[in-house]
Amino acid sequence: MTALAPFLARVEASTLATTIGQSTLLNGLLSGIHLLGLTLIVGGVLVSSLRLLGVLLPDHPVAELTSASRRAIVAGLAISVTSGLLLLSPKAAIVPTNTIFQTKMLLLSAAVAFYFAIYRRAARGDAGTFLSPRLTGALGLALWTSVALAGCAFILLD
Amino acid sequence: MFLMNLCVWLEATPVGVWVRESLWGFSGLVAVHILGLTLSVGMVVWFDLRLLGVSMRRVPVSTVYRRIMPWAFGGFASMFVTGSLLLTGFAASAYGNPYFRIKMAALLLAGVNALVYHTVTERQIAQWDRLPRPPSPARLAGLMSIVLWAIVIMAGRMVAYTLYSH
Repeated sequence: MTALAPFLARVEASTLATTIGQSTLLNGLLSGIHLLGLTLIVGGVLVSSLRLLGVLLPDHPVAELTSASRRAIVAGLAISVTSGLLLLSPKAAIVPTNTIFQTKMLLLSAAVAFYFAIYRRAARGDAGTFLSPRLTGALGLALWTSVALAGCAFILLD
Repeated sequence: MFLMNLCVWLEATPVGVWVRESLWGFSGLVAVHILGLTLSVGMVVWFDLRLLGVSMRRVPVSTVYRRIMPWAFGGFASMFVTGSLLLTGFAASAYGNPYFRIKMAALLLAGVNALVYHTVTERQIAQWDRLPRPPSPARLAGLMSIVLWAIVIMAGRMVAYTLYSH
């Protein structure tokens, strides 16, 4: 972690980071965009997970129902990660020490890895997936909810 | 200034004082407010996208509404309760906050948009329920809903940055 310190200090000292750090308007706008991205992810995960769980529109094929929600999850992820990195840049030095932030990143990594390794295939309706569709839906929902909760804890308890 | 007097009175109520002074109460309310938002807006967007003819095009519009909206209403209820409690704690400051006013105006317009959809547009739903691409008044309602909720979210975050940190 200590090897990261000089890099993080450079990030904090950059013009972009100091501009964001000094502007309430930029922080608010980025935070709004970050939350829009999260809303896209949660909405997409809810629709596809509820379908995988057999709760939402079980008479309709999984792949057809989740084609747009899979795209929404990836788009929401891109939006949230980009805005999140910009929001973090003025206080990049917290990365090695803030346990709530580290927990959030750990959960996010787990959710992203699970999505691309297992969840996406199940949501495409591929046969012979590693886990049952129901378990995949439940795990996906639990992982992304925990990311959102850790995000709330990070902004509130920091 | 009836509204301002009401806001000052709200802030002084025991609930208002508790929201301002209890760290865990305030944090818990904000967390549930944000989670309620991702649930409600996250789900409502899928009905809006169906109205726009973008997703679930083979499922009748009325079916998507029936299956999606109960989840969204659950989110709305938790968002409304926690939002009202948070407002009680900061009512007088919120009253003059421009972002709070934008948020309330967008919420009101989202309500009017839903009302117009249900009372006017939805009347002829039998004619377009199964169409992959519903007629323009329905598509407009979907688009308006997405835009207005995005404004509510953006303005809401601006409120968080300009209201509580005083």
